Amino acid sequence: MKWILFFGALIGLSVCGREKFFGDQVFRINVRNGDEISKLSQLVSSDNLKLNVWKSPSTFSRPVDVLVPSVSLQPVKSFLKSQGLEYSVTIKDLQIYREMDSIAGDFPKLATRVKIGHSFEHRPMYVLKFSTTEGRRRRPAIWLNAGIHSREWISQATAIWTARKIASDYGKDPAITTILEKMDIFLLPVANPDGYVYTQTRNRLWRKTRSVNPGSRCIGVDPNRNWNASFAGQGASDNPCSEIYHGPHANSEVEVKSVVDFIQEHGNFKCFIDLHSYSQLLMYPYGYTVKKAPDADELDEVARCAAKALASLSGTTYQVGPTCTTVYPASGSSVDWAYDHGIKYAFTFELRDTGHYGFLLPANQIIPTAEETWLGLKTIMEHVRNNLY
Amino acid sequence: MLPRRQRPPASGPWGPRPAVLLLAPLLLALQGVAAAPAGAGGPEDSPGLQDAEFPSGLLQQAARAALHFFNFRAGSPSALRVLAAVLEGRATVNPKKGCQVDLVFTTDHYNPEVGEEHLGKCSARVFFRNQKPRPAINVTCTRLIEKNKRQEEDYLLYKHMKQLKTPLDVISIPDSHGHIDPSLRPIWDLAFLGSSYVMWEKTTQFLHYYMAQISSVNQWKTSDDAIDFDYTVLLHEFSTQEIIPCRIHLVWYPGKPLKVNYHCQELQTPEEASGTEEGSAVAPTELNNF
Repeated sequence: MKWILFFGALIGLSVCGREKFFGDQVFRINVRNGDEISKLSQLVSSDNLKLNVWKSPSTFSRPVDVLVPSVSLQPVKSFLKSQGLEYSVTIKDLQIYREMDSIAGDFPKLATRVKIGHSFEHRPMYVLKFSTTEGRRRRPAIWLNAGIHSREWISQATAIWTARKIASDYGKDPAITTILEKMDIFLLPVANPDGYVYTQTRNRLWRKTRSVNPGSRCIGVDPNRNWNASFAGQGASDNPCSEIYHGPHANSEVEVKSVVDFIQEHGNFKCFIDLHSYSQLLMYPYGYTVKKAPDADELDEVARCAAKALASLSGTTYQVGPTCTTVYPASGSSVDWAYDHGIKYAFTFELRDTGHYGFLLPANQIIPTAEETWLGLKTIMEHVRNNLY
Repeated sequence: MLPRRQRPPASGPWGPRPAVLLLAPLLLALQGVAAAPAGAGGPEDSPGLQDAEFPSGLLQQAARAALHFFNFRAGSPSALRVLAAVLEGRATVNPKKGCQVDLVFTTDHYNPEVGEEHLGKCSARVFFRNQKPRPAINVTCTRLIEKNKRQEEDYLLYKHMKQLKTPLDVISIPDSHGHIDPSLRPIWDLAFLGSSYVMWEKTTQFLHYYMAQISSVNQWKTSDDAIDFDYTVLLHEFSTQEIIPCRIHLVWYPGKPLKVNYHCQELQTPEEASGTEEGSAVAPTELNNF
């Protein structure tokens, strides 16, 4: 099980401060004769590509599975193409799920991996629950949502880094320790697993879910326009081909419904934070109207504090304000739904950057982004802890 | 680097600015994407001073449009500028004609060197014609780089590009992880220069663009003196969140005006008609204002 260690090591290194690349792929290469096998051996033995043969061919009719680190993807693809070697890309399992499992394994008293549902293509939806109590009583809880728009990779990456940070710092950092003494934290790093896999295998800039729209050739619904908060209002589209298509009805997307059902059944969430990119904004309701939310003044104050804490690390500046006028009108959003359902501390982060790389944020910015965002998240969570209602 | 939002005083009207109409209600009313009737849930549409937040987004959009235009006109891939912060700005709306934004903003190098702190400063007048793209732009910037140095850098870039072996063995720039091989960086910069023209032409008061990725390099010729570059770029339009593929063909030689031809895929319409948008230009050598 060499490759699990390989993956685990790669991901584990991220918290130690080394660079981390997501998106390693498993290439299934067809080899039809001795000539092709020798070409493939040439590729695999190349030192600087750091390839890892997962399954070697025993006969010519069996394909070879090779683990290709993300940095080597381009040269390997070019080589295979130039040598006329056929291949396909397979992803056996999301790396992030393995890492979640690993965190739960490393911190069994604190963290558990919980399945809350499944995606359209039947991938599991996993949440990490951080709780210092085993009681059946539902403690006040915080929901951290990430990866609802699959192309915003810094969101899933920040979330999984944050997961390990929460677990590692409990008992060491007074802030997170006191937060967890009073509240539970639920973290959903990949709210749109089908979209995420699609961005890794077919289209890096895919945003929506991968559900089928009857009568249309276009696939997918914008999962952040699909919540029951002024559904199909201003700032969404009724065209299935649009990137902001709201879907046929609220909660039509099973990925959204899974979260809604879980939160409603739990009944005691006090805070909902949704991570997106890009633009460097920290926003609060509403997106669906310019009308001021009843708690807007308090939320604005909290957001400003959080943005200040975030900026204190590397000087990254975030703009603060209500969604509608800070970015654009958006109906059916997760944060508006949460707020209208009594979850007062509802915030949206638009993470780095402001457009230079946009969705394709370089991997060497993952840890700096996660570290500064952590300061902002802690500020919000501390305020929630001090102002439980 | 986004500036702090300008906030009105805690009570009372905005203040004595007779020429300025606040834009939020108008922008929301005119928003083309909404499925609901325009103006739903918005405040009153009457012109005049209003006690509403000034949408700082518009100032940044105007600044970016001005920079797209500035970068294209300068025609220099080594001297590209990016928005640092808006210092001041005001917008005037004529409901029949459009929206004029006057602003002052600072800029950074697109490719800052480590520890570099050169902030250029620009003032611009950007006129968005109602619902029409290609805002009229008047922009002047302080010198960030000395003219000779700029020409030198451009020429170095040009020489580097001439040395790249063709056909270029690339799939997309950057790759999925935002990585651009240092040897390919000049290609990105040149592509950004060509895309600046396209992004300027397509910008409206509601639509603004970023360059997301070069999805293919169709042709890279350096057989004659000039660099002849044919590529497909993916533009990200922010308010609709759409990804627009544009085929761009540019011809560049340092110090000479940039020639650009392009053809973008139309945004999806409900009828799913696929229109095309074309344009071409040659950048003037002189920095003239209109």
